[in-house]
Amino acid sequence: MSIIVTESLTRTYGRRRGIDSVSLRVSEGALFGFLGPNGAGKTTAIRVMVGLLRPSAGTARIFGLDCWRYSDSVKAEVGYMPGDLRLHAWMDGNQALRIWEKVRRRDLLPYGRDLAQRFDLDLTVKVRRMSRGMRQKLGLILALAHKPRLLILDEPTVTLDPLMQAAVHRLLREMAAAGHTVFFSSHTLGEVEQLCDRVAVIREGRLVADESLDALRQRAGHQVTIRWRDNAAASAEPPPFLKIEPPNGLVWSGMLNGPVDQFIAWLAHRPVDDMSISRPDLETLFRSYYASQGSGS
Amino acid sequence: MNRGLMLKAVVEIRTSTLLCGGLLCGVEAILAYVLPTFQAQFSENLRQIRFLQTFFSAMLGVDASEQFGPEAFMAFPWVHPVVLALVWAHALVCCTRLPAGEIEQGTADVTFTLPVTRWEILRSETAVWLAASLTVMAMILLGNTVGGSYAVAAEHAEGARTLIVLANLWCLHLAVGGLSWLVSALSNRRGVAITVAFVLLLASFLLNYLAQFWEFAKRIAFLGLLDYYRPLVILRDGIMPWRDMAILLMAAILLWTAAGVVFTRRDVCTT
Repeated sequence: MSIIVTESLTRTYGRRRGIDSVSLRVSEGALFGFLGPNGAGKTTAIRVMVGLLRPSAGTARIFGLDCWRYSDSVKAEVGYMPGDLRLHAWMDGNQALRIWEKVRRRDLLPYGRDLAQRFDLDLTVKVRRMSRGMRQKLGLILALAHKPRLLILDEPTVTLDPLMQAAVHRLLREMAAAGHTVFFSSHTLGEVEQLCDRVAVIREGRLVADESLDALRQRAGHQVTIRWRDNAAASAEPPPFLKIEPPNGLVWSGMLNGPVDQFIAWLAHRPVDDMSISRPDLETLFRSYYASQGSGS
Repeated sequence: MNRGLMLKAVVEIRTSTLLCGGLLCGVEAILAYVLPTFQAQFSENLRQIRFLQTFFSAMLGVDASEQFGPEAFMAFPWVHPVVLALVWAHALVCCTRLPAGEIEQGTADVTFTLPVTRWEILRSETAVWLAASLTVMAMILLGNTVGGSYAVAAEHAEGARTLIVLANLWCLHLAVGGLSWLVSALSNRRGVAITVAFVLLLASFLLNYLAQFWEFAKRIAFLGLLDYYRPLVILRDGIMPWRDMAILLMAAILLWTAAGVVFTRRDVCTT
């Protein structure tokens, strides 16, 4: 079952582009990564989903409900943390949780305090005295305290230290394992790679990919590095299924677009000193996506 | 109405309410004591300086040049520029917090993504604002009563008439609040919202002033909110200004409703 469905979702700001015909489906229990560089349209899409912006065209539905028209019902089961998080300066964590529990009409304090312990956050400190990282932790606690069915996080770990990032990642994995859906945007590719089972890539407001991480990697082929034993082999013409970057002495590196056994058979009778073959990391995929889309446009 | 949002609103406006209320209580007490006590000296000054007469009349909303009697001096504490400025300031500060203030400080992303409708947000905020407004009115009454009780004057304002003036001032306060909600709903910057609302109020004040000696201004004076606030007439005649109060309340309701319609339909973008 799809928790988030957007169809041809478009949002413009006057003449300025926000997002253009974004169609997405996020299934229940997924850990979904929404990738794109700054200004690509990630935050605009998220703002439409949480009812802050009205779509210019197309639809956005969460739990089958229109995100603008039934925004309050949708948000009852959504936990949201904005990218550029600002909290009311006069609040401390306890006050915030008390207000949130009255707004949501749920008992949030026990789990909120558990989360604070887990994130090592003192709930008695006023927001105005908190560091950015502390505010980010409080934002996460407020988004998570009601154990939402869907968690929407806009670059959630950007100001957290590596240890805290790992704690957040663990928690998100636990939530997904318990059947909660996590939709989060990021431009930190390693984070998405560690966490997500499915990603969408947005570029200049348009969706350029929406598939599982494995499928994305499959499609992208393999990363290959070969160290030749002699110059003759290094200066030979590469086969059509190997796309090699400009050679660097005896080393070739590039992408294999074809079956691995074909490559090994081709390599078997050649003077190879060393060789590695691997799936590309998301960073490489992302760059190749952007490079190819950029050259295509 | 949402209790959580009301609690948040209480925390956010209690300081400005107590501050404005305290100041108004003090200023009102001083004016209610000084003006009737030193009525003879003030009357002499007013007779000699024409500009002061016009100013006095403009503040009172009626031509008072012929009758600077005790009622005029009892009415002046209710229309003194400091009193009006503080009453306006309270309304402007409280009613531009949302949405303009929330958008400007970036907290709208958090507040407006809570699971409540925007109407419910506005209703919750308004309920707290009404309570704050009544608190301010109570403090004004306290100041006026205390100051008036120490005043050395031949006549004192009747309690019932004073309460009617207070009711009229409350209606004016609500109308200014409604105007502030609307301007705030149309804006992303609280400073801009406050400035626009203040300029409109100042225009109303000037219109009231100019109407004393300019026929054209007199003809369009009905457009200003201050045209419906006349403490002198109430204190002098003891008549309940139903029409004026109804117009101010109607303006408050219409402006607030328009604010709600704009707020529920608008995009919220903090970046």
